[in-house]
Amino acid sequence: MNHTVKSKLKWLSCMLALPAITFAQDTEPATSSYFSNPLFDTLVVAILLLMILIVAMSNVLKNLTQSEYFQKKYITKLEDQSSNSTKIIALLAMFSLMGEQLLAQTAVPVKAVVIDDWRIGGLDGFTFYFLITLIVIESIAIFILFNLIKGFIKSDTIAVKTVVDKTTGEIKVVTKKTIIDKLNASVDIEKEGEIMLDHDYDGIKELDNNLPPWWKYGFYLTILIGVIYLINFHILGTGDLQGEEYTKAMAQAKIEIEEFMKTSANNVDETNVKMLEGAEITAGKEIYTANCVACHGKLGEGGVGPNLTDAYWIHSGGIADIFKTIKYGWADKGMKSWKEDLSPKQIAQISSYIKTLAGTNPPNGKTPQGDIYSESDNKILSDSTFLVIDSLTLKKIKKDSLTIIK
Amino acid sequence: MELEKFKYDNQIVKMFSIATVLWGIVGMLVGVIVAIQMFVPALSFDIPYTSFGRLRPLHTNAVIFAFVGNGIFMGVYYSLQRLVKARMFSDMLGRIHFWGWQLIIVLAALSLLMGYTTGKEYAELEWPIDILITLVWVVFGWNMFGTIIKRRERHLYVAIWFYIATFVTVAMLHITNSMEIPVSLTKSYSWYAGVQDALVQWWYGHNAVAFFLTTPYLGLMYYFIPKAANRPVYSYRLSIIHFWALIFLYIWAGPHHLLYTAVPDWAQSLGVVFSVMLIAPSWGGMINGLLTLRGAWDKVREDVVLKFMVVAVTAYGMATFEGPMLSLKSVSAIAHYTDWIVAHVHVGALGWNGFLTFGILYFLIPKMYRTKLYSQKLANTHFWIGTLGILIYAVPMYWAGFMQSSMWKDFTPEGQLKWQFLDTVTKMIPFYAARSIGGTLYLVGAIIMAFNLYKTAKAGSFLADEDAEAMALTNNYKGHSTDHWHRWIERKPIQLMIVSLVVVIIGGVIEIVPTFLVKSNIPTIASVKPYTPLELEGRDIYIREGCYVCHSQMIRPFRSETARYGEYSKAGEFVYDHPFQWGSKRTGPDLAREGGKYPDSWHYNHMLEPNSMSPGSIMPTYSWLLDDDLDVSTLKAKIKAMQTLGVPYPEGYADIAEIDLNKQAEKIAANLKKDGIETSPKKEIIAMIAYLQRMGTDIKKTSVADTLKK
Repeated sequence: MNHTVKSKLKWLSCMLALPAITFAQDTEPATSSYFSNPLFDTLVVAILLLMILIVAMSNVLKNLTQSEYFQKKYITKLEDQSSNSTKIIALLAMFSLMGEQLLAQTAVPVKAVVIDDWRIGGLDGFTFYFLITLIVIESIAIFILFNLIKGFIKSDTIAVKTVVDKTTGEIKVVTKKTIIDKLNASVDIEKEGEIMLDHDYDGIKELDNNLPPWWKYGFYLTILIGVIYLINFHILGTGDLQGEEYTKAMAQAKIEIEEFMKTSANNVDETNVKMLEGAEITAGKEIYTANCVACHGKLGEGGVGPNLTDAYWIHSGGIADIFKTIKYGWADKGMKSWKEDLSPKQIAQISSYIKTLAGTNPPNGKTPQGDIYSESDNKILSDSTFLVIDSLTLKKIKKDSLTIIK
Repeated sequence: MELEKFKYDNQIVKMFSIATVLWGIVGMLVGVIVAIQMFVPALSFDIPYTSFGRLRPLHTNAVIFAFVGNGIFMGVYYSLQRLVKARMFSDMLGRIHFWGWQLIIVLAALSLLMGYTTGKEYAELEWPIDILITLVWVVFGWNMFGTIIKRRERHLYVAIWFYIATFVTVAMLHITNSMEIPVSLTKSYSWYAGVQDALVQWWYGHNAVAFFLTTPYLGLMYYFIPKAANRPVYSYRLSIIHFWALIFLYIWAGPHHLLYTAVPDWAQSLGVVFSVMLIAPSWGGMINGLLTLRGAWDKVREDVVLKFMVVAVTAYGMATFEGPMLSLKSVSAIAHYTDWIVAHVHVGALGWNGFLTFGILYFLIPKMYRTKLYSQKLANTHFWIGTLGILIYAVPMYWAGFMQSSMWKDFTPEGQLKWQFLDTVTKMIPFYAARSIGGTLYLVGAIIMAFNLYKTAKAGSFLADEDAEAMALTNNYKGHSTDHWHRWIERKPIQLMIVSLVVVIIGGVIEIVPTFLVKSNIPTIASVKPYTPLELEGRDIYIREGCYVCHSQMIRPFRSETARYGEYSKAGEFVYDHPFQWGSKRTGPDLAREGGKYPDSWHYNHMLEPNSMSPGSIMPTYSWLLDDDLDVSTLKAKIKAMQTLGVPYPEGYADIAEIDLNKQAEKIAANLKKDGIETSPKKEIIAMIAYLQRMGTDIKKTSVADTLKK
């Protein structure tokens, strides 16, 4: 009986694996494109994982059926009742055959599906449902296996918890075999003597327990994952290495930003930036305080960076010039580019705020740097706001020239 | 066969155990100090010797090599004698080993505080100490093999396989990674540069974890858990498979520290897959340890020794599962450079190494002093306070790491980075504070233990020479046909050592050698030139101050990094970097393209008072760079050493290098003067600025501003 169960289980796992093999052959021509699809990869990995779980569970089942207790009590009972497990195994086989049937049936409408370009997560409908079917079949198999194992364990725990020692006639309590012991395929503590090796190192003895099946199959699984990983990235070249990954991420980001900008009022650049007013200036001041004071001073008096309140500008002082300076920076002069940190709108706000600083003449102002900038030279900006500032600037120029003379 | 009487040497075990406790407390104390410095930067006292960049390497070295190192020797000297039924080969070698190791620790501590460092993490010690380490390590190996050779036990127990693998592999790693060319007694340059240096360093760094923190401790676990629980080892088969698989696979995993860097893709992939394959072999140790306790769990509830050991083995299991997960590229992309990694290593260090050491100490001391532990209650307090400490340490760090990484990667819909780097730093402060509390608790626990052990020793009487007897081995031993095949090598220590060495060499050779031989692995870039003499001196200051502890120099190919720091780093950019300075943590921002980002005066002010330029910064001040004169006495030797290493300075350049150095220094001083800063061009800060302004500029794209001008 034991051998029949064993061979049945083997046959069962073969049957379960079969659809996967046929499937692999089927899809071979399109493999390269499929493997680059994350959904496909996920589903295939799930299928493999479930498959391994099935193999592991069959193995546990096998171990259970081989255990002495099972053989004594359960198998005989089973045999009398025309084998429950045989039924289940037949049922499972039927399921897995159904999978193949499904494959045969759905193979016909494949073309139609592809033509319609009906896709789920980038996969054509057929592939998607095929993979899902496999997963469902495997899950059912796992469910059944799980119930079988549970059944065995249950019957085992009902087992006698006390035994009578033959020599002394004493009644001894037998430790219950826990689920952990079963998962590990450990030998009962009472029977340890049978697997005790004749090793003795300073009193330390060694048992020769089985490798825990989950550990062993887990190890195989990680090796399999390793091999698939290397094939995917370095032999088939279907996975993206860091270079391609980066290029794709950048392209994707560009599309997203463009999409957003289309609908956003944020679309300001150095060609169309205008002097802002009111609350925008206050907002500009806040951003200035958070980011600019370290180099340009609290009041724009300068420090590491140039004075922003005088009429002298290294890179010209129009609103568009200031915007450009902040946006792109002047690497050679130590002005950093802020375009990755601040939005165009924010840059426009700071630029506007900086323009309002003109002529405020704060204490400890840094010596002027660059050339005198006069607003009238700037053709784009000639509205009245700037004329006011301009007169202030002129006053400042006089003062500055005085300081320089001093 | 005759029964031989002999004595175990407990004295040497006692010496190492005292050193373990002492250095453990010192190492943890320094750890607590640096943890507090991270949110109270003023605690660096504005002097070089107590600045974070010097104290952190002191902390890591003290904990790894002083605390765990002495712990290994304590456990090995105790267990080896008993496992082979022989006294240590030579009492004298044992004493030389002990005092030699303590000398190394003291020299290491002093030299790290002085700023003598190679700038390679966990291998910071300068060449004279490296040589000393090699010699003392050989003494250890000699003593160990001597003992094994004159053993009275035919077969070697699994613990000893681990000791032997530890001995050969650490020797190989230490020697290969410490290849450096001396410039003076206190300064050397790594033999390797850039990508190669990174690969060698992390091959070493990763396997220092494997073969200094893991394999010897697995060996100790295999002795002390069955002893303390009085249970047989769960599975001999499992020992064999997990031992060989572990030492073979571990070696390959080094490049997982370098994912998404300029290291070739194939090397990164090997690092990934071998890390994944490492889960089962690592867990083999945990399973064998925990299942050995099968049937003894009632004892675990009572016995504090076992309690410590169970938590240790569990922490080992968690850390060795997390490691492979962190090695997946998508996870590494999030966790690398953050405090997540700090949390990960501390689960290993505090949980696995710390707790196993404590368990062993609580087991050994009462035994050697022939008495009961002074207070079970205090030991239990230590257990709980330590466990709590680990939790309060790790949880905030995991949280902090994940949070900071997410902030680094955040973009606004307009496509700008959502957070300035500094914003992400100030958000970390509460977590840093919490972590220091966890660390303090752990330290308090260790102090309670020291007191408890001291009281125990006081109450007992020490047994320096413990009587033992065993049958002598006969020479005409033949194996039984029924023996497991592996029994053969267990009788052959030398063969075991050689096979281990071969097994651990394979991975390293396959991963490292091609980067030397195959040019395509490191594409050269024509515009990358050697450092000027002043920049070279500045770079040495950067190394001396341990800047790499907090700043990386490796921009990964992510949108969030190229947006923040500029073009991602290329392998060819580092060909003159002896040693490489990619770093492994970003407490501060990446500096790979720092050059030209800010004016010279920004750096001057920033070093004097980081908060003036970056309000809220947690960087300590480096004001001594502004006061101290640059020492150019070794410049000539430095240039010559660089030439030996293949850096293409023109012939005879060493003689005129100082002229170039002075010219460049004058320029920077003049530049500073323009911004109102008066300083002598002779100061160290000038060299530092020169180096900072050079970083990453060789291939910097012509700035957008320049393009606009056209």
